[in-house]
Amino acid sequence: MATKEDLESFVTQVTRPDDFEEFWQGVMAELAQAPLEPRVTPEPMRSNQSVQVSQAFYRSLDGLEIFAWYSVPAQGEGPFPAILVLPGYKSDPGLRRDWGAKGVAVLSVAVRGKLRSNSQFNPGYPGLLTHGVESRDTYSYRGVIADCVRGVDFLLARPEIDPDRIYVSGSSQGGGLALITAGLRPEVRGGVSGYPFLCCFPESMKMLRSFPYDELNCYARAHSGRVPQMIETLRYFDAVNFALSIQCPMVVGIALEDEVCPPETSYAAYRNLAGPKELWLFPNSGHGNAHDYPAKEAAWLDNQIKQDLTQKVHG
Amino acid sequence: MTPNTKEFETFWDSLDQELASVPLDLVTERDEFYSEPEWTVYRMTYSSLRGYRLFSWLSVPRQLAQSKAPAVIRMPDYASVHDVIYTSLRHNSVLMNPTYRGQRLSDGSFQAQYPGLLTEGIDQPDNYVMRLAFGDALRAVDALLGQDIVEVGPWTAMGSGLGGSLALASAFRRSTCVGVAADTPLALGNPAVVNPESMSENMAYPLAELGDYLRIYPHRSSKVVESSSPLDPVKMAAEIEAPVLLALGKRDRGQCPLPVGEELASRLPKCDLRVYDGANEGGGHEHVAIRIAWLKERLGIA
Repeated sequence: MATKEDLESFVTQVTRPDDFEEFWQGVMAELAQAPLEPRVTPEPMRSNQSVQVSQAFYRSLDGLEIFAWYSVPAQGEGPFPAILVLPGYKSDPGLRRDWGAKGVAVLSVAVRGKLRSNSQFNPGYPGLLTHGVESRDTYSYRGVIADCVRGVDFLLARPEIDPDRIYVSGSSQGGGLALITAGLRPEVRGGVSGYPFLCCFPESMKMLRSFPYDELNCYARAHSGRVPQMIETLRYFDAVNFALSIQCPMVVGIALEDEVCPPETSYAAYRNLAGPKELWLFPNSGHGNAHDYPAKEAAWLDNQIKQDLTQKVHG
Repeated sequence: MTPNTKEFETFWDSLDQELASVPLDLVTERDEFYSEPEWTVYRMTYSSLRGYRLFSWLSVPRQLAQSKAPAVIRMPDYASVHDVIYTSLRHNSVLMNPTYRGQRLSDGSFQAQYPGLLTEGIDQPDNYVMRLAFGDALRAVDALLGQDIVEVGPWTAMGSGLGGSLALASAFRRSTCVGVAADTPLALGNPAVVNPESMSENMAYPLAELGDYLRIYPHRSSKVVESSSPLDPVKMAAEIEAPVLLALGKRDRGQCPLPVGEELASRLPKCDLRVYDGANEGGGHEHVAIRIAWLKERLGIA
């Protein structure tokens, strides 16, 4: 089991490219030019007394249509705070009805390649992590990250959502994407990143044998001559480099027995956070299965949402 | 203990008869990209009920101590993706990761939706997708035992959620199974998950899908029971001869609520029950080591 000392002594070789901000400003500018074209289709079967569930769609980079589950409180008029929930690598986006009774909306995004968002782009699992990794301009995660950022745009375009109270959360890949989205969009007011993936790629692929990181080893074996290119590309998509831009309150949750996302690498992202931050360590827990994590995540977000409302009302 | 009904026995016998009428038509292809120094990975495709083509990953260690390879079938959970996982078992046993229809790589003519799959066709017992998915799991066992890449010796089944129930069904219908490790097996078909109290908004997905469905189609409740009842793992339990390692979560509201799991354990002839504080993650990390050691013992791996 990793110890806190192990985490603190770990130093990643990942550094931020000099043109990191320029690259992402370019991607964001390209994204801003694309029409959002939001659509919402009510889903009566999934709705109940506390929450109205809809299928949401919006356009992202390369014109792809992205699907999300959109859950809005059935009671009250809003505007409601909202949580952008970002998905794990291979898992399906959860339909979240647990926040409706608390007066909170949830947008749970199926990034490109996932069910309902894969008609034009479908590299598979395994597959996504190495798709187009030869260049930062062709890498799959350029679009995946854009899909998450577009989720913020979707929420900002909704009249029932309070634009000053948008939060992010997710576990595993969703944890990495939560950090990245918060790093790219200052409208995000806080978030929780659990067991974050997409951290310290060069070390992570060597520390464990599990997919998804092991996909990079498969790629390296098959294309040994392209490894330097791959490592260079990944610098632009590493969550530790986005953490440096995050000013809002963030939590990083780490399972000390994590066998999928090395705890040291998640800590490297935590260390880089530029704003208020909180660290949760879960001993005797593995990837995604700390028994207390869901309740802690819900309590932290609930508290943050209430604090921000108080601050907004009282200035 | 109430004996199973004739309808239950007929359901499973007819499912197996239907499977037997479909040629396996197994094709295996070596996957160089995902093969590693310690194991070779194969892509398998084969036919199941109604001729549906299914996909499976197969991982075979490059060095095996036994002439007949120990094998583990890791049955798929209720999710669109079922990939090759890393487990230390992969070093010295064959690991098969089959899919059921509608999952990625087995979605040529039908793409499963989550939520949604659990009630797909549930008003037509013969066409209920979960009946077909359980048939797909049995067909995966046939494919493992029928492939000619490696001679399989003792085999076990494992899985969580739906995968746990599929693993139990494998042992129920394929008596050569030497052990089942089931985490929070999906309690589909159990009377406790279709009564009004358990249909409350406190239920979690995937079982909550049944509540969603019956809220819209209350008049179909008898069809829901008829379609799902034979898939109740509790009904299978008494006929499962293989030892079962069963993990449950005290806070599980979406896969195997504790009372159902305890009833299941009480009906299994050889059950090692472990109850944890978690929800549908069951024992989480703590149980992983227990499960691996237990499976190794069943498989005769040092």
